[in-house]
Amino acid sequence: MKQFVIIGNSAAGIAATEAIRQRDKTSKIIVISDEDYYAYCRCLISYYLAGELKEEMILYRSKDFYENNNIELYLNRRVLRVDAKKNHIVFEDKSKLGFDVLLVATGARPKFPEIKGIKKNGVFGFRTIKDAKQLSGLLPVTKTACVLGGGLVGLKVADALRKRNTEVKVIVKSKQILSQMLDIEAAHLLQERLESNGIDVILGQDVTEIIGNGDIKAVKLDSGKIFGCSMVVVAKGVSPNIEIIKEAGLKFNEGILCDNFMQTTVPSIYAAGDVCESFDITLGKTTVNAIWPIAVEQGRIAGLNMAGDKLEYVGSVGMNSIEFFGLPAISLGVYKVKEEERKAFEELVYLDRKAKVYKKLVLKDDILLGAVLVGDIKNSGLYLRIIKERIKVSDFKHKLLRENFGYLDIMHHLKEKENLYIHRSKAYV
Amino acid sequence: MKQLYYDIEKCLGCKSCEFACAVAHSKSQDLFGMIFEESLSLPRKKVLSSKGKNYPVSCRHCKEPKCVEACMAAALVYDSQNGMVLHDERRCVGCWNCVMVCPYGAIRPDLKTKIPIRCDRCKDKSEPACVKACPTGAIIWQEELILYTK
Ligand SMILES: Cc1cc2nc3c(=O)[nH]c(=O)nc-3n(C[C@H](O)[C@H](O)[C@H](O)COP(=O)(O)OP(=O)(O)OC[C@H]3O[C@@H](n4cnc5c(N)ncnc54)[C@H](O)[C@@H]3O)c2cc1C
Ligand code: SF4
Repeated sequence: MKQFVIIGNSAAGIAATEAIRQRDKTSKIIVISDEDYYAYCRCLISYYLAGELKEEMILYRSKDFYENNNIELYLNRRVLRVDAKKNHIVFEDKSKLGFDVLLVATGARPKFPEIKGIKKNGVFGFRTIKDAKQLSGLLPVTKTACVLGGGLVGLKVADALRKRNTEVKVIVKSKQILSQMLDIEAAHLLQERLESNGIDVILGQDVTEIIGNGDIKAVKLDSGKIFGCSMVVVAKGVSPNIEIIKEAGLKFNEGILCDNFMQTTVPSIYAAGDVCESFDITLGKTTVNAIWPIAVEQGRIAGLNMAGDKLEYVGSVGMNSIEFFGLPAISLGVYKVKEEERKAFEELVYLDRKAKVYKKLVLKDDILLGAVLVGDIKNSGLYLRIIKERIKVSDFKHKLLRENFGYLDIMHHLKEKENLYIHRSKAYV
Repeated sequence: MKQLYYDIEKCLGCKSCEFACAVAHSKSQDLFGMIFEESLSLPRKKVLSSKGKNYPVSCRHCKEPKCVEACMAAALVYDSQNGMVLHDERRCVGCWNCVMVCPYGAIRPDLKTKIPIRCDRCKDKSEPACVKACPTGAIIWQEELILYTK
């Protein structure tokens, strides 16, 4: 019997516990979180803030999940460091806990820029249910908010605040919103949709100061402009929670480095989710891909391997799916090509501005590397599969953007041979 | 566990299955009632053609479903007892992560209702409506085949 310790009670941590239990019904599993909450759907806190989802609807697993799977849960316990030589972890209160195999699934936390006033009351990150509750609590007395950052989280929080009748300005340093997932054309379509629904977007400017004594009064931009507001939400990206392993001897860059088995450079320690760096198929190198589906995928592989399997991860593809006010957008892999590298790539584009449909595929030597889809997202899963399996698209390239493109166009190129289509004349099972 | 199989030599591409599927998932459960419903009932199955042959395509109810992995609302779950992927509409927020990752392109995003449309094998009925509707018996509903590979 082993002792599995999992730091992190979220996407990656839960996927790992479920995978371990799939293979090993008896060993001890301990799951640790510094939050005071059962595992919940972190990505849904904006829906909760908007008042669209009740609290019980954002629980990720039922309350008896831990008991049913014989898992010990430590809530509200902060781990200070991992000691890889002694195979134990140390908590904030200096108590220790030994492990045979450890998973670090500590996720990430919001980055706060070092500007004047950033520590004031009324400046929030947006990462936890606690953040959402605090914001929500202020809404009765707050009618104006500034969101710093035009990424996925910033826009989601702006959307939620708008739905709660708050005046919202989103202040974006780049020349476009969603610069980490969309190209400029797609970003325009979405920005239009946000603005026509009452969310102000200010591009190409950065906040230099948050003004107010006690309560927040305004933010000051680098252009000198001042916007009045009584609440500030900072959504300028996240950084992986790697502090606890920094002295432990594991290799790390921005995130903890993992091999294709989700194992770190110390054999008894694995990592998964937002905290780790793993191989990215379209980039051809390791990177942090901080999204929910990848955290689950990696957590599952880590869990199976921790329990003795030898399952290899093919690697991740950076991707994201969003929808604002009825306009959906999905981005897969390489979504933007630098001007100077244009020649090496090929772009297939379909644009119908009126219908708000935009589709772009990025290829290199007839290998699909990425896609941006707005308005019409139905074939996204097929594109993702083509990207992941690195299928040469030469034979069907002309069909890729057609309205009737579908599974059959790629079926014969896939690694998997399905058995549900029977040709009676040939084989009968 | 029962699975859907398709005899490609028999499929005429008549789309009777698509039709029956839309009706079976409509409120009124009947063709004439269906066309007057507020949100149009969409088929969970699509008959696609390639090289003169027709292939009905719908959700595989994968054993390791990518859509369930990707579902950030835990609205999609794998029911191992029945070998099916189930969807809880009350939990769904319409984020389309499932559409983003389904390797068969088997989910249709219904942008109006914000619900992913996918085959539920008519779970409340004795057999899927498409099986009953197919005039040539090309859709086969039977215990899972074990493929013998050399
Ligand atoms: C508002 C919002 C919207 C989002 N929307 C999307 C979306 O639409 N699509 C998408 O794919 N992704 C989205 N994401 C990102 C997604 O939530 C993350 O990728 C995902 O949560 C990563 O899971 P994880 O398990 O790696 O880490 P996390 O979810 O960050 O969980 C980390 C866990 O580790 C614990 N922990 C951390 N440090 C310690 C410590 N020192 N001691 C003890 N416990 C510790 C925490 O308590 C927590 O349980 C969104 C995120 C936010 C905040
Ligand atoms: S929707 Fe797609 S990924 Fe999900 S079970 Fe069906 S075929 Fe598999």
